[in-house]
This record gives sequence, structure tokens and C-alpha cells, in this order.
Amino acid sequence: MNMKANWKTILSRCVLFVITAVTAIPLLWLVVLSFKSDTDILNNPFSLPEHIDLANYERALDTLPLFKMFGNTLIVAVFALLISLVCTFMISYAITRLHFDHAKIPNGLYLLFVSGLTIPPYIVIFPTYRIIVALGLLGSRFSLILPLATTTMALGVLLMVGFLREFPSEIEEAAIIDGCNIYQMCTQVVLPIIKPVLATVIIFNVLYFWNEYPISSVLVNDTNMMTISLGASMFRGRYSMDYSGMIAATVIIIIPQLVFYVFFQKYIVEGMTAGAVKG
Amino acid sequence: MHWLSKKSTKIIMIMPAVILFTVFFLAPIFISVYYSFTDFSGIGAAKFIGFKNYQVLLKDKFFFIALKNTFIILIGITITILPLSFIVALLLEKPFRGSGVVQSMIFAPNVIAPILVGLIWLFILDPKMGMINAILRSIGLSDYQQQWIGGKTLTPYSVAFVYLWQVLGFYTTINMAGLRSIPADIYEAAEIDGANYFQRIRKITIPMMKNTIVINTILIITGGFKIFETVKQLTNGGPNHMSDVLVTYMYDTTFTSSRYGYGMAVATVSFVLCLIFSIIYLVNVGKSLEQKEG
Repeated sequence: MNMKANWKTILSRCVLFVITAVTAIPLLWLVVLSFKSDTDILNNPFSLPEHIDLANYERALDTLPLFKMFGNTLIVAVFALLISLVCTFMISYAITRLHFDHAKIPNGLYLLFVSGLTIPPYIVIFPTYRIIVALGLLGSRFSLILPLATTTMALGVLLMVGFLREFPSEIEEAAIIDGCNIYQMCTQVVLPIIKPVLATVIIFNVLYFWNEYPISSVLVNDTNMMTISLGASMFRGRYSMDYSGMIAATVIIIIPQLVFYVFFQKYIVEGMTAGAVKG
Repeated sequence: MHWLSKKSTKIIMIMPAVILFTVFFLAPIFISVYYSFTDFSGIGAAKFIGFKNYQVLLKDKFFFIALKNTFIILIGITITILPLSFIVALLLEKPFRGSGVVQSMIFAPNVIAPILVGLIWLFILDPKMGMINAILRSIGLSDYQQQWIGGKTLTPYSVAFVYLWQVLGFYTTINMAGLRSIPADIYEAAEIDGANYFQRIRKITIPMMKNTIVINTILIITGGFKIFETVKQLTNGGPNHMSDVLVTYMYDTTFTSSRYGYGMAVATVSFVLCLIFSIIYLVNVGKSLEQKEG
């Protein structure tokens, strides 16, 4: 019995080891390649780099303004996050707490927003571009911020309404009796209550804003406003045959993402799971 | 909460979200459908041409290649991700030394920008400088080298594999949450009754996990329709649209060839397909769930 159990454990560990290795190898491979010269990459791919040579990284930073791209992405992410959170919170609060003469209004609003989840965003890229042009926003950062903020609202409403519905409103009623106005109540009473779901929504949104490519590729034409994903999409053109430079640039971009992941891992994993299971 | 429900308050609370959602989501959907009935090419006015774009679509060889590739990817990712993520979740169910590391590691690709995922795999799949063919060459199996990407057949399979790599940890985590929600005493009762491990999985775990499996399948299918960046980076649809999927073909006809009207017809069809898939699946599963419970 014991022997059999051991054998099973060994087999299961082996399977997990193989899967973990397959996951890790592409990333490790990338790091190894990033220290090698182009000729080595093509002719001698498995030799370990002879010494830690940062030349690739220097070239990578010379070819594309990577730090500027980080800055641009950060600006977009911060503003889109603020807009998305404020709008999502207000409408979720209205749907769950305010009194409407017709009960259909809050339910209809909820369904309308949540149905946005089933629609692949690609279908709206071109019309969004037309609308941005019509509004005279093309070339401004808001041309990207507003559509991205909107795309995240569907999931935000789903999660926040779900959370608020399960949470009793007595505390808020007490606060009103004590003379709170709606602004004070939202910031001082409700905000602390919704912290857990807020964390989930923030993480979802930040990852989305940080990684978004298709919409940005159409709405951002100005290289001064290029985001990280846009820059990465141009690697093949910019570095043309300079594979090692391209690899080094990829590593430079991935490292902050992985650091973010390591720090917020618990919230990311839990948040994404909660979102998916409810969605 | 009647005190707060003044008309002005309600309007202030609702309007910002509704306006943004209408301008950047609802209106665009209708505009897409509208343009799919025109011959708009970016210059001049859009002329209404009825169903002509859709007629062209039905005879478009490249559209059907893209459709076929999309289906290969959808089937490929569904039949691999569902069982694999389930097995990995089972193996990780009982924590052991290092199980946390395994879980974090396989989840990690999920946070990497999809556009970079494509780039990372370029250095593995590329026929000339990629790792796989380099390994085959170095161990004397040069004859087994394949055009993993950019050839005539293999690209969609490679794209499906890359997607598996990207999302396995995510679905594993959802499955682990599902496993945790099954009460332990059911297993204990079954064990007392003499059920072995595989019987317990088949008769208890899988039926109890039905909802999770349903959610996963829907997410995998709708996710599969959204695979874009990987194809864009690996082959950009080439050679000659052989490796396009629906969304990359739509993107290419719209933004590269400036055939906006036609591109929007492709977009509309993709959108409808995606919707039909989700609905068929939901309805069927809804029925079988009701039968189970009733």
C-alpha cells in the first residue's frame, strides 16, 4: 500500500515538474539569449553566454525610448483607472442602493453593462476610431484613456454589483440618519466596505491597461505617446535583424511585470479567479 | 434608501458610466454593423451597398482559411486546457513543499502582455533561429525540423499551444477553487463505501465540478476568439493569409487594406459566431444542469 502511494506521489510530482519546466523554459531561454550576440544566437544557440555582456541592453535602450513608453503607459493606466473606478462605483451603487420608480431600470442597466462582457472588443475598434475623430480627440491621450476605461466597465459593474447586493445596507442607513450626505457616506462608509472587491477590480484593470494592444494600435499614432505594448509590437521593425537587441528590450519590459506579479500575486490570483467564477 | 434617491443624485450617479458606455461601446457596435453594409474605403462618403460585402465574404477563400484556423485553435485549446488544467488542479489539491511555487510559476505567463508572449515564442518556434529546431539540429534530428510557424499548416496548432502556455495556470486556479468547494465528507463516505481514487473522481469530483467546467469552457471559447497578438507577432497572418484567424483577418482588411466596409462585415460575422457559440453552449448546459437537479 505504502509503496503504491509513493509511486503515485512520484508520478504526480514528475508531471508537475514537467509542466512547470515547460512554463519556465521560454522565459529562461529569453534571459539567456539576451546576453548573447546575434551570431551566437544563430550559430551557437546552446552555449551559455561567456560573460555577462550588457551591450544588448544598452542598444535596446538606444533604439526605442523604453522609459518614455513606461511613462506613457503609466499615464494612460492611472487616468483610465480613475475614470473607470469612479464611473463603475457610482453606477453600481445606484443599481444596488438607490430607489427607482420602475424596478426595471436598475436591472436593465445591470444587464446592459454585463452583456458587454460577451462582445470581443475588436468589433468596436474601427467605429471607436471614427468617434474619436468626430469628437476631435485624436492625438490627445484621452483618445486611448476613454475607450480603455469603458471596456473595463462591464466586468467592474458585474463584480461591484455582485458584492454590494450581498452586503446589507443598514450601516449606510444608520450613517444617513446620523446626518451624512451622500458624498461623505460614499467616501467614509462605503469605500472601506468595498475594499476587497475594489482590489480585484483595480488589479484586473491595471493588467488590462498595461497589456492592451489592439485598440491602442489604432488610436495612438503619435510615437511620443506610444505605450509599452505598441513599442513591443514594433520591435520586429525597429530592431530589424538585431535579434539580441529585441530580446533585451523584451526582458526589460517583462521584468517589471513579473515583479508586480510577485508582489501582488495573492491578490492577482484570487481576484482573477473571483472575477472569472462570478462572470 | 429613499433619502438619497433624489432625481439629481440618481442622474449624477448613473450618467457618467452610461454616457461612456454608449459612446464607446454601444454606438460602435451599431456603427460596425452599419459600415458592413457600405463600401467605405476611408476616403469620401460611405455608399450603401446592401448585402454585397456578405456575398463577397461567402466566396472569399482567405475568410474561410481564417475561419478554419480559428476553429483549429478553438478545438485545440478546448481539448487540451480543460483536461490539463483539471489534472494539474487535482495534483496540486493537497499542498506539499513547493506546491505554491509550482502554482505561481504556471500562473505567471498570464500577467505578461500578449504582444510579448508572441515575441517570446517567436524565439522558440521560428524555423531558422528558434529553440525547437535548434535542439533538433544539435541532437542530429535535423530531418524532423518543422516550420512551426510561417509554413502552410502548423501555425494554428502552434498558436493553440502558446495559448495553452499562457492560460493553463489561470484555469488551474479556477479549478482549484472549484475543488475546494466540494465538501470533504462526501469523499469520506465514498471511501468507506470502497470507491477507489478514480471512481471518486468520476462519480463525485467531475459531477460536482460541472459549473466550474461550464464556466471554463465558455471562457476558453470566448478567449479563443480573442487570440490576436500571438498571431500578429508570430506570422502576422502570413504567408499570404495562410495563418490568419478571424480577428487578424478583420484587422488586416480594415486597417491594412483600408477595406473598412468589408472588414466590418468580417467583424460582424465573428461577433455573431462568438455569440452563437456561447449561447448554444449555455442553453445545452443549462438544460443538462436542470435535469441533474430536477
